[in-house]
Amino acid sequence: MQIKENVNKAIISLIDHKFRSFLTILGIIFGTASVIAMISIGEGTKKQAIAKYQDLGVSNIIIRDKDLTDPELEAVRMKFSKGLSVDDARIIAEVVPGVVSVSPQSEVKMEAKVGDRSAKSSVIGVTPSIVSILNYQTEKGEFINSDQYDRQLKVCVLGAGISRELFSYDDPIGKSVKVEDQWFEVIGVMQPKALFTETVGELASRDLNNDIYIPLSTFNKRIPKKNQFTSEVKQLTVKLSESTQLLPSADVIRNLLSRRHFNNDDFSIIVPYELMKQEEKETRIYNLLLASIAAISLIVGGIGIMNIMLASVLERTREIGIRRAIGGKKKHIMGQFVTEAVVLSITGGIIGVVLGISLSLGIAWATEVQTTITLYSILIAFGFSVLVGITFGYLPAKQASNLSPIDSIRHE
Amino acid sequence: MLIDIENLRKEYHLDSIEVAALRGIDLKITQNEFVAIMGPSGSGKSTLMNILGCLDTPSSGTYRFNQIDVTGLNDDDLSDIRNKHIGFIFQSFNLLPRMTALENVELPLMYAGVDKMTRLDLSKKALEKVGLSDRMRHRPSELSGGQRQRVAIARALVNSPGIILADEPTGALDTASSMEIMDIFKQLHEEGNTILIITHERDIAACCKRILLIRDGLITSDTSNLN
Repeated sequence: MQIKENVNKAIISLIDHKFRSFLTILGIIFGTASVIAMISIGEGTKKQAIAKYQDLGVSNIIIRDKDLTDPELEAVRMKFSKGLSVDDARIIAEVVPGVVSVSPQSEVKMEAKVGDRSAKSSVIGVTPSIVSILNYQTEKGEFINSDQYDRQLKVCVLGAGISRELFSYDDPIGKSVKVEDQWFEVIGVMQPKALFTETVGELASRDLNNDIYIPLSTFNKRIPKKNQFTSEVKQLTVKLSESTQLLPSADVIRNLLSRRHFNNDDFSIIVPYELMKQEEKETRIYNLLLASIAAISLIVGGIGIMNIMLASVLERTREIGIRRAIGGKKKHIMGQFVTEAVVLSITGGIIGVVLGISLSLGIAWATEVQTTITLYSILIAFGFSVLVGITFGYLPAKQASNLSPIDSIRHE
Repeated sequence: MLIDIENLRKEYHLDSIEVAALRGIDLKITQNEFVAIMGPSGSGKSTLMNILGCLDTPSSGTYRFNQIDVTGLNDDDLSDIRNKHIGFIFQSFNLLPRMTALENVELPLMYAGVDKMTRLDLSKKALEKVGLSDRMRHRPSELSGGQRQRVAIARALVNSPGIILADEPTGALDTASSMEIMDIFKQLHEEGNTILIITHERDIAACCKRILLIRDGLITSDTSNLN
């Protein structure tokens, strides 16, 4: 009863002083909004970061042939290593427990042309099994099938980016792309992929959307090797049945390949799942940092409430005296002022939540930053703003309740 | 005996100087008395009023209100006595400006923990008694001085207090309004209420049945006024 009265009275009193109330809660509004916006930016970044590792497959191990200079390569070959090969792939599939399949791929950077348009791209020779390993989905058409692979057909599947560059908004299916001096028929276009903006281990930073996929058999037959020392394949993608055995399996593969490569350090092993967990950990710290900075502004907002409330106690000294004279106890006065502070901060919190959500959506719309609004960020921001209101409302309320009735009723 | 005061003293400390406001007051007031306290400014009459109203505590001496020794009570108990047994009326009305007349009158009942329906009922009756039933929804700024003081009287009455303490209730009013207010006091007295008025106007004191004179913190005269 008393609380409900207090809340009603507080709301009326705040409406009576619209402008001052608004100024009071301005800090809380921006504090709450920035907590929500900061967390949603952090969450968005995290989601983006995780997506690119998910594109690499969370139960995969990737083995890359190292990018060596010609003299280094010559030295390695002198020590009997043939580099990464299809044989390596076969042995891994046979020996390492839990391996579902292994897909080798070769890569070469080449210029692709259609009519008068041209674009730099990476031509990737793949086996049809890559579809199930890397969860490759086509936007249009089909991926390379085993029949096309066996017959070494000159077909290709375009990445989303290069398709746009070469064909603009036209449908590329059935059309031909010229790679160096060879013609390939387009049979499919991939879905867009998360961008790699930094080098992940030996996985060079490249835009997967500019890849052109052709059958590995065709690659070996048609695309000339860079020189005699170039390894047979550039990458092996190993899919395991479950992600729990990734690190032990990676060790087994490392030992196996080291032996087969005569202890030459010419390959590297990447475990996307581990990198993803690492990234998650890093972004968590980063998010915490962002939220803490925003929380400081919320505390500053609380100090704003305290200042105005203290001024309001001074201004309403006489009112407090009157209330005390007609029988209001200290706890009544205390309750009245704390309620006002809480109503203020809740109002600020609600406006702040709305502003924070709009801000997050606005950032996502206007910039390239991806934002994800989460329920927990709203709850944290709102809860914290109410807590700040109570904390900073307490001191002025305490001061109000401790005023002597006789002095305050005489106050002009 | 409603009020029983013995050898009441009150000293203030201004910097290092001790100022005696009350220097040994003895006073007894019984049920249904109508008392005026007169005296020049600085005589200590307001200090006496504040102590009687449990807004202030004496430096020494005893004060029994309804046989209860008030000097030993804590802040909450004093608030309760002010709330339930004392009705204050001030020279400057002391209404809350942002509340309507009705809400102002309700306030003591709210602090007493009376439920909303009873509160409304009692407050309306109190306002009717002072002749303001058509002004209940007005804020103090929309009322004349006399009307404001009548709202204050309704607020003082609403808890059916043991005593009504009025500090210069007509000090801010014109003669006509003053007489209206005094008529209300007379009527309240006839209905059995105990009333104590502080004033320095002779015609106001003349309305009362007993007149006390205070000078330099002492009661110098205590006379019955038989009109």
